[in-house]
Formats: sequence, C-alpha cells, structure tokens
Amino acid sequence: MSQPVTPRRTTRSSAGSASDPASPTPQSKSMPKSTLRRQLIPAAAAAAKDEEEEGENDRSTVDLLLEALPGRRAQASDLLRLLAPAPALPLLLYGGAATGKTRALLLALRHIRPRPHRVAYAALRSLPSPRALFASLLSQLSPPPSSSSASSRQRVNDKPSDFVAALRDALAGLCTQGDAVYLVFDNLEVVKSWDKGTQLIGLILRLHDLLRLPQVVLVYVSSATPDAYYSMTGSIEPNHIYFPDYTVDEVRVILMRGHPNPKLYSSFLSVALKPLFRVTRRVDELGAALEPLFRRYCEPLGDSKVVLDESIKRRLFEHIQPHLAVAMNETFSVPTRASVDQCNDTGGKASTKRQFGNRDSLTELEFHMSVSAKYLLLSAFLASRNPATLDAALFDSTGGSDNHKRKRKSSQASMNMKDTMVEEMLMKGPGTFPLERLLAIFQCITSVSEDSLDDVESSANMMNGSGMTGLMSDVLLQLSTLCNSNFISKSRSCPLEGSARYRSNVDQDLALKVSTL
Amino acid sequence: MAAASVASQAQAVLRARLCDPGFVHSALRSSPDTNYSKLKYLVASSISEACNNSVLLLGPRGCGKAAVVDMVLEDLKKEHPDAISVIRLNGMLHSDDNCATKEIARQLCLEHQLSFSKMASSDDNTEFIIDMLRECGLAHKTILFILEEFDLFAQGKQRLLYSLLDAMQSLTSQAVVIGLSCRLDADQLLEKRVRSRFSHRKLLFVPSSLDDIKRLVEHLLIMAKDSSLPAKYITDYNSRLTNIFSDKKFKGILNSLMDADATTSNILRFLFRTVSYMDMESGFLSMESFLNALSAMQRQPKMDSLQDLSILELYILVCMHRLEDKEQSSYNFTSIMKEYRSIQDAYKTSDKYASTVCFRAFEHLLDRELISFGDIRGRNQALEYRPVKLLISSRELAQSLKLNTTCPAVLQKLFDRERYM
Repeated sequence: MSQPVTPRRTTRSSAGSASDPASPTPQSKSMPKSTLRRQLIPAAAAAAKDEEEEGENDRSTVDLLLEALPGRRAQASDLLRLLAPAPALPLLLYGGAATGKTRALLLALRHIRPRPHRVAYAALRSLPSPRALFASLLSQLSPPPSSSSASSRQRVNDKPSDFVAALRDALAGLCTQGDAVYLVFDNLEVVKSWDKGTQLIGLILRLHDLLRLPQVVLVYVSSATPDAYYSMTGSIEPNHIYFPDYTVDEVRVILMRGHPNPKLYSSFLSVALKPLFRVTRRVDELGAALEPLFRRYCEPLGDSKVVLDESIKRRLFEHIQPHLAVAMNETFSVPTRASVDQCNDTGGKASTKRQFGNRDSLTELEFHMSVSAKYLLLSAFLASRNPATLDAALFDSTGGSDNHKRKRKSSQASMNMKDTMVEEMLMKGPGTFPLERLLAIFQCITSVSEDSLDDVESSANMMNGSGMTGLMSDVLLQLSTLCNSNFISKSRSCPLEGSARYRSNVDQDLALKVSTL
Repeated sequence: MAAASVASQAQAVLRARLCDPGFVHSALRSSPDTNYSKLKYLVASSISEACNNSVLLLGPRGCGKAAVVDMVLEDLKKEHPDAISVIRLNGMLHSDDNCATKEIARQLCLEHQLSFSKMASSDDNTEFIIDMLRECGLAHKTILFILEEFDLFAQGKQRLLYSLLDAMQSLTSQAVVIGLSCRLDADQLLEKRVRSRFSHRKLLFVPSSLDDIKRLVEHLLIMAKDSSLPAKYITDYNSRLTNIFSDKKFKGILNSLMDADATTSNILRFLFRTVSYMDMESGFLSMESFLNALSAMQRQPKMDSLQDLSILELYILVCMHRLEDKEQSSYNFTSIMKEYRSIQDAYKTSDKYASTVCFRAFEHLLDRELISFGDIRGRNQALEYRPVKLLISSRELAQSLKLNTTCPAVLQKLFDRERYM
C-alpha cells in the first residue's frame, strides 16, 4: 500500500509564493517538499534585510499571512501573538497530516516583528539518527568555516551532554546582540521510533529549561497529539496550537488557487470533490486523485474554448461519472498501456459501460506472469490457506469426490466449531508451509492441468513428453523470483526441522485474477 | 500609534516577567518559613561552619525547586563572594559516570581558570576532582554540587553518588550536595551504602493553594509605578485588573485551572497566553483574554481528531466498536473488513469501497493514534493480520458521531442499534 504519486500541480506553497515577491519560484514536481521549506527558512531571515523599508503595520501582516493560508485565521493570529516578541515560552503546533502546520509556521516567522535573527530548522523526518540531528542544528547555528571541514567532522558529537554544551555555546554567541533565535523541530513524532527515542524526546522538550537563554524560542511541530509526549516523570508543557483539518469549502479554495481555468475547474470540483471527500480529507491525496479525473473531464471539450452553460456541464458530468466511480475505489493508479488505449478508441461508450458495470468483477492482471509462475503462486496460496491435513482430501488423484461418505447433517456444535475456525483463519492470516509441501501441491495441480493442455499443445509434439518437466523446470528459480517480488515471503528456518518455511502474501482477489488464465 | 506602542511595550514587559523564573518566585524572599529560607539557612550555615551537608528538594514538576535553588545561590554569591563555587549536573545528560566526571572536571576548570583537555580519561578526571576537593577544602572554599533530576542519577550502580558523598566524608573537604527530583521517593532509590552517607534532609515542595496563586497572579500582572510606561496608563491598567480579580468569573477560571494542575508552571503558561491575547489597541487585559486563554488550554485532542475524520474512517471505527461489542477479544483488519462488507450488504449504502481504499483509511487512523496495534512487533506479520484495538472510548465515539454534521444517518443507527442486540 504505497503513497500516491503526486503529479505536477500548483502546490499550495508555489501558489502562495506567487503573491510574495521575495519567494523562490515554483518548483517542479521532482523537488521534494523539504527543499521547498529549506528555501523558505533562509528567506525568513533574509527577508529581514530585504524588506526593511516596508512600513507595514500590524493589520496588513495578519492579512498577508491569511492570504497565503486559507482557512487558518485563528491559527495564524495565535501564531503571530505567541511567537513574538522574545522571550516566549515554547510552542507546540499539532494537527493531522497535510494541514499546513509547517507552512503556517514558516510564513509566520517571516512576518513577525521584530525579525528573528536566525531560524534553525531541524527536519526530523529526513534525519536518520540523533547524531545527524545534532550535527544539522549546530551547523545551522554556527556554520563551520569551509576550510576546516575535516576537523569539524571529528567534532560531531553523539552524547546529549556534549550537544547541549555545544548548543549553549553557539546560541550564546548568537544572542549577544539581543535578537531572537528560533529553533524549529519539525515532525517530532518521528523521534519516538528512533533508538532511545523517548529519552531524546524528553531532552528536546526540556531544552528550554536546560538552556536558560531568554532570547531562544523553541517551536515544535508534530502530527501526534500532545498526550503522546506525556512521559512518566512529566515534563514542562509547551503552549499548544491546534490545526484542524480543512473543511470541504476550504479544500475547494485551496485547490482552486492559481488554476489556469477557474470556471471549468470549479464546475468540475462541484461534481467530483464531495464524493471523494467522503473517502479521505487529506488535501494531498485529494489533489492526486483529482488530477487525472480533471483531464478526463476536459476530454469532450477538446481544445475549443467553450462557454460553459448548463447543457455542456451536464454532458461533462455524464462523461465523468463512471470514471469517478472507478476512481473512488483506487488509491494509486498507474496508467498502463491498455487503459490508455481503451480511452482513446472510438468505442468509448462500450468500454466505459463495461467499466461501470463490472466495478466489482475481476479485471485482468496488470502485469505479466509466466504460466509456471502462476501455478506456483496458486499452489503457494492453497498451501497457505488450507491446513496440511486437508491435502489428502483436496488433491486426491481420483478427483476427491469418491468417498461416498454420507453427508451428515451438521450439528450445532460442529457449526460453531466451523465458525470459530473461520474466525481463527481470519485472525491468524496465511500459514507457513515447507518447500516439500509446495512442490507436492504444484505437481498435483500441473498434472491435472496437463490433460487439459494436451489439445492445445498438439502442435508442439516434442514438448508433450516432457510437458510436465517443462512446467517443473526452474521451479526454484521461479520461487526465488516470487520471493523477491514479495508474493511469497520466506521465514527463518525452524531450528528443529532445519528447512526454510514459506508464507504466501497474496490475497484472494489477486489469486482469483491469477487463476483466470 | 502611541497607544499601540505603549501596549506592545507593556506586553513585552509582562512577557519578560513571566519568562524569568527569578522574578516569578521573588515574592518568596519576603515570606518567612518557606523552603527558600530553610535552604538558605542550611547552605549558609554549612559555609560558615565549614562542614559538609546534603539535602534533597522533592516536589512535582513546576513547583519552583530550581528557581528556589537559583535564588539561594544568588543571595549567597552576594554575601560570600569568593567562598563558593557551583557545579551543576543534570540527570538527563550526565547519568553516565564518565560523562559526569568529565562535566564536573570541565566546570571546575572553568571556575578556576584552568584549561580543560577533552582527551583526559575518566581516571584522570576523577583524580583531578579529588585533588580539587582537597584544595578547596584547605582554602575554605565550599563547592556546591547541584544535581538536577536526582532520580536519574540513582539508576544503575550509583557510582557517582557514592564517590561524591564518600569524598564528603573526609575532613578536608567542604561540599554541599543539593539534589532536586520530581519523584517523592527519590531517597528510597539510593543504595544502602549511599543512603548511609546521605543526611536525610528533605525539603518538600507542594503545589500552591488558591490564595498563593492569587497572590502570585497579582504579583506578576500588576505593574509598579516606577516602570518606563506612562503613569496614567499604569493606573488605568491596574484598576481594570483589580476589577477583574474581584469578579466571580475570574475565581471560576482559577478554580478550573487548579483542578487540572495547580503547579506554578501551569499558571505561568496560562498567564503567558493571556498576555499574548492582550487587546493591542487599548493595551488592557480584559476578561475575554483570560477566557480565551483558558479555552485554548483546555482542548481535548482526541475529540478534535475525531471531528477531522472522513466518512470512511468513521465507518471503520464503528465497525471496530461493533466487533468489540460482540465480545470479540481480538480482531484485525480482515475481520473489520468482513464486518464492513456485511454492513454494506445489509444496508446497501453508497459508501462501499474497495479493500485498498479502506486500508488507506485504516492507516490514517493508525497515524492519528485513534487505534493501535495490540501486539508488540514480535511476529513479522503483514499489517492486515495484526490485532488492533480502539484507543477511544465508546462515549467519545458517540459524542463525535452526534457532533459530526456530515455523518450519514445509517452510521448513527449502526452505532446505536448494537446496544439492543
């Protein structure tokens, strides 16, 4: 389950920065988000030197900030009031993902008066360890001279006590002029998953007390709520600011910003946004899902600039509706060649009808697998899902229906047992199986299919005799390929038996897709 | 413009006051028989009588232990300028013995203008410390060791504590060890041999009573006449403030603050927020700023998170709740999906989504910490099969469903109906 690929769109940052003259130009989609933020940070301090003569009073500061942050009136005013002037108690911004916390903070740091002397930003999500965090912060506060880069590498410290001492020295050097220095820790919840993370979080949250420097203001940004940071021995709580998720209207405003075709896009959003909003409220996921849909929406118009009226809107709506239904069931769409061809052919009506009607039914596999790999995958699936004791009954050479056992009316107790067994299966997930069992099932399946394949392979007579070995060859090679693509996972070998055990990772839908040869 | 600058000046003055622990606790100097006076008497007498002593300051966080120690040190430095040197250690940073000896040696070097070598080994540092203790003892200079987070020093072998307290037993040394801890049983953590060398003096810090807090608030917010602001403004400001203090609503605010947390740091946070919400045009604090600050401090994060969920995520939570009601002791994502499918088949709502979309919503809930895995990461299982549990109570879920305006009626029905089954 991977994250959706974000196509090129007018991001909030680039749309917002279009109104601000001292901002970086909008970045292409290949630039990760963190570099965009890193460009905002020196701009925050550099703006102090650039915009000295702008005689702004307080009202327009708030207005400027609000223009760049739609729907964040209360949070922006809170930020401006609590951050400046120094000295200030530490501050914690929390809220869900993609709610604009970091962006609001960095923009606010640009607009507060008096201007901060230095802003040091620790992007904890991109730092792998405490040592990297210490190095990053210290290098931002006191940039080492370029000639002594070798010696500075030796001074990279690992221990918290060395770090706090070095930090205090660096900050004392900066604070002599009386200007404020802001330390920002972004994505604080990431630290909990580090090695010795809880101690480090305690240290970071108590930096205010440890440093005792009034001109240093600490700001934390976290997507976990404050009660995730309460430890057993307590710590000094920072002031909180909460960032709620955006409502539908606010999302609409955000997505509309800077769009080249506002009328068309707004009619599209009025159709497509509300249904998608029921699934997820995160702006980044919505943007990623809406982008290909908007391209579909504009298809009937072609290139002509058409005045939108009701009839055209209705036509567009009918065109987009089946695609919308499909899009709501996808998290991640990679446009394959087949689907691209489908939408380009003139029999569009037929294909869309098929897509709309068969929403629940199986489509073909989007990737290619060799026949023996498919058989191997299916046998792994069967081996995982069925207990070993059923093998004899399932794979009986006579087809398994010869037992002539009378079908007893199942009693209540046995039905209960069956229910509990089914629930246990749901809970435990796929079981493990040794290699021999896999190969045995594989042989059974392929021997059964051999008879049906004989008529197909009538031309390739040479292969007939070695048909079974044709499928059996390189089975271990196929197995290792499937393991590498994570269809089958291999566990460590059991110490008693000594052989490796495997587990199948495919679910039933994929197995059914594979089985439609 | 003039009013705005006066307001911003006043705000700056108040904020500086609130962030300065020395100012906050300075009222303690005048009152008798506080912990401050006791500590001062203890340290002063051990300095003047050239004897060794140890004391523990215990109390919950934010009650002013470190501030009291700082005030005592300030006073003593004025009275006996050359007779004391201070070494500060913190349990969070220096609980490792080598770190601690290095830090002590470093601070000693700093105080006595000696050069400190970072490459010195731990044995060298220890020898140096012992020598310095003897030298200072002979020169009648008392060394004050301030150990913050004392309980963290008491983990492990307690070698540092033993060596410090042992060095104090000799005749030539003059040292006072002051330990600060938020654990009230910090002295029980000491080993037998360490405890026997420790004089069992403890000073207990308690959270303040309502009267103390009222006095503290007045001390912090009322401005004195001699500050740099215009006199008329100060009189107006003070009179408005005294009106607010006598208001019943203000007593209610203080009571609700104290019900949650009566420590000084909580009051300071509240006052800081109030001062930040000062009306910048008039420059006065109003009851509104107090009320806004209180409501901002008393948010309920889980309820807020629940309001931010999408419809599909609410469905998943309701399914989990139904499974818990059916007394299923443990369930995972596949059982939740089974329940979800059965609900969709029964009620035929428009919200039927594929498994991948539901899994993404499930991961969002995990990120928000409204649900979590029930097992520690022992077995290397796929995420769909690990048992999960709800981290919110059914009352919170019920309330959030009621407050959610876009919630479909069928969800509410599903949630209520299980009560009758």
